Amino acid sequence: MANNVSIAEDGKKQFIVVKIGSEQYGIDISYVDNIVRMQKITRVPKVQPYFKGIINLRGEIVPVMSIRTKMDLEPDEFTDVTRIIILKLEEHGVLGILVDEVKEVVTLAPDEIDKVSYDAKNNKSNFINGVGKNGEELISLFDTNSIIDETEAV
Amino acid sequence: MDVSQYLEIFIDETNGHLQILSDCIMTLEKEPENMDVINEIFRAAHSLKGMAGTMGFKRMQRLTHDMENVFQEVRSGNMNVTSSLVDVLFQCLDAIEAYLDNVKESSDEGTDDNEAIIKELNDILAAGTGNASEEEKKPEPADDKKAGGDDKKYSKKYLEIELSEKEKEELKEAEKKNMSIYGLTVFIQEECLLKAARAFLVFKAVEDFGNIIVYNPSSQDIEDEKFGVDFSFYMVSNEDINKIMEVAQAVSEIEKVIGEKMTYSELTAAVEKREAAEAKAAETKAQEAKAAEAKAVPAPQAAATSAAQPAQATAKKSTPGKPVTNRTVRVDIEKLDALMNQVSELIIAKNSLVSIGSTSDSGSGGANSQAFHEQIEYLERITTGLHESVMKVRMVPIESVVQKFPRMIRDLSKKLDKKMELQMTGEDTELDRTVVDQIGDPLQHLLRNSADHGLENAETRRKRGKPETGTIHLNAFQEGNNVIIEVSDDGNGIDTENVKSKAIELGLITPEQGAALSQKEIIDFLFMPSFSMAKKISDISGRGVGLDVVKSNIEALGGDVEVKSVLGEGSKFIVRLPLTLAIIQALMVEVRGEKYAISLGSIETIEEILPQDIKYVQAKEVIHIRGMVIPLVRLDQLLDCAPDETEKESLTVIIVRKGDKFAGLIVDELDGQQEIVIKSLGKYINNSTKIISGATVLGDGEVALILDVNTLF
Repeated sequence: MANNVSIAEDGKKQFIVVKIGSEQYGIDISYVDNIVRMQKITRVPKVQPYFKGIINLRGEIVPVMSIRTKMDLEPDEFTDVTRIIILKLEEHGVLGILVDEVKEVVTLAPDEIDKVSYDAKNNKSNFINGVGKNGEELISLFDTNSIIDETEAV
Repeated sequence: MDVSQYLEIFIDETNGHLQILSDCIMTLEKEPENMDVINEIFRAAHSLKGMAGTMGFKRMQRLTHDMENVFQEVRSGNMNVTSSLVDVLFQCLDAIEAYLDNVKESSDEGTDDNEAIIKELNDILAAGTGNASEEEKKPEPADDKKAGGDDKKYSKKYLEIELSEKEKEELKEAEKKNMSIYGLTVFIQEECLLKAARAFLVFKAVEDFGNIIVYNPSSQDIEDEKFGVDFSFYMVSNEDINKIMEVAQAVSEIEKVIGEKMTYSELTAAVEKREAAEAKAAETKAQEAKAAEAKAVPAPQAAATSAAQPAQATAKKSTPGKPVTNRTVRVDIEKLDALMNQVSELIIAKNSLVSIGSTSDSGSGGANSQAFHEQIEYLERITTGLHESVMKVRMVPIESVVQKFPRMIRDLSKKLDKKMELQMTGEDTELDRTVVDQIGDPLQHLLRNSADHGLENAETRRKRGKPETGTIHLNAFQEGNNVIIEVSDDGNGIDTENVKSKAIELGLITPEQGAALSQKEIIDFLFMPSFSMAKKISDISGRGVGLDVVKSNIEALGGDVEVKSVLGEGSKFIVRLPLTLAIIQALMVEVRGEKYAISLGSIETIEEILPQDIKYVQAKEVIHIRGMVIPLVRLDQLLDCAPDETEKESLTVIIVRKGDKFAGLIVDELDGQQEIVIKSLGKYINNSTKIISGATVLGDGEVALILDVNTLF
């Protein structure tokens, strides 16, 4: 998936750093369409449990997913720093994911990113395709495409 | 100029001609002596050939040419129409269609020569006429004769063309090289819509033989359709003029081509006459601009031959080349979709205004709010009208889909060796374009199903005292907000016992369960994936990818399928489709604070009932109302809402209907009727139960889900 990630002139990539639970995650900025405040999510019955529902984004219906539920973390708690990151994925259209907080935008050079090896036993690491080192802090980098794996897009 | 811009016209027209051919050949099979039909076929084949030729599709041209030959013989009475001939002709149509499909995909006709079909055609031709396939056709003699009589109407307008020095030079050069100079005038049929395209096709055709030196009107004007029904040109060529005129004539919708060989001196003489009267034109460009004017000033020769010409020419100037009779516009479906989206947005905006109006006026009354309300109502009327108009524009008759079915049934009849005929009614019923585009396959499937499984063979039918020829009936009509398409046959009907034992055999149910099933439940097995009743697999049906696909296709369009069947008497498949896919009138309801929309089209009545009115039948809640026992659905349970403990004094029940079945939905609140814009839930959400068919944005920006009550039955 590395070739899908946007590459700045000198090989550096920009990530939006978000907080989910106690961990920090990075989302490749090229997939991010928008970041919106928490708003009323309309529940849709009889769908996958990690889909919180749908929102109205300027007249468009956008499904919203809970990364926490998907990663088997404790349920979302909505605060006034909760945000919905609107991702725009090729072919699949628009999707919102819930995060606890949006921290900052960082630029990481290739040597600041460590690849993680695939661990079949741990489902959670499937969404992560690298760990970025931003100074002292570590940021798990989402593999945006695998958040929705092909089998789940209907 | 480039051919590709005419490709679309070509595809459209070829489709049209193919349909005419198909229809006519069907008629011809029944009435082999019908001269009108034969002539019609001949004309269509001829046009096809001409078009294929000018577009450079040689294989297609060859095939149609041979078809035309056959009809030439049939027309002149040298041959009879036989069933085998009709078979071959249908093969030809299929082959042409295959070419056309290739053209659509790759702008190329492909490489299949269809030698076998061509050989068969020629064999038939040889057998029918008794002589070897000697080519003895050539251009229709009738046309040549007509040419004599029509000369008055078709004046030699090419004599009016003005020539610049450069063009004269070119002509002179050509003559020196022993090439002939031809002057030609082409008359296009008055009702022709795309004159520029025709002109282009003519030029393209004749340019195979030589060079066009000068046009009148100028080539730019011709391209822009700034001409009447005729245009003229001079060309130089080594070919015989008759050949050139023949190819020009072969372009469809060309009424007449006249022309003659000229020498340079004749030419210049004609030109000089006029040049003496007119100011000398210096440059080519200036001259070309004047070319249009020149038309209004008829040359002496033209004036002599036809007195009506000048009047006609001036009339043409005022309405440049546009036919008055045809008042339609072709619009790209995408543009319509864009328009539809805008209308949708407008309706959402209007709904917001309505909701603002209803909240703000509660406190302060007065004249202002009165005026505001009037304007809102006015706006409401306009948007509703606008929506209806846009919807109407998108409506097309289902005819375009069903017209290929008679042919299909004919083929099936041969293949299955059963006698059958298709009757169609209500082909003019209109549906949204997007629905029409997708309804073809499911309907085709149902027809095949009727032909293969439904109808019995002739012998069985005779024994049962039915007419030998089975009848399949396709009927379409509008019912409220739905369009119903029924496919019925007078065949065997569905043997529910058979279906039941098959279901047991496949392990879908136990024999005990089977005993308790209703007729309808058994028939529903037919719609299950990979459930096939065919004893052996044929290429018509029996692979088990049948009715389930039909069902899912139709459900994807927001419709549903129902079956009625009487064993021994036949079965009827009823397809119900929504008129539109984009905007519906809906009743807004609330269930535990969540808002849902239910299409008004499926709502029968709304009832207020007391909890003690609820009765139980087979441990299911029902109500008995006006003589009907209606099952109840508690929406809060169905939609997994948080349970509500409070006892209610009365319950609001929405009675919905699908076909002749009813159900009562218990809701908490009614929020009134609203026009809603249907939006998809997107691809991520796995909405496998299909209870929610979409979502809509309400006036206050809130999102409401649309309930598809059809899934409740």
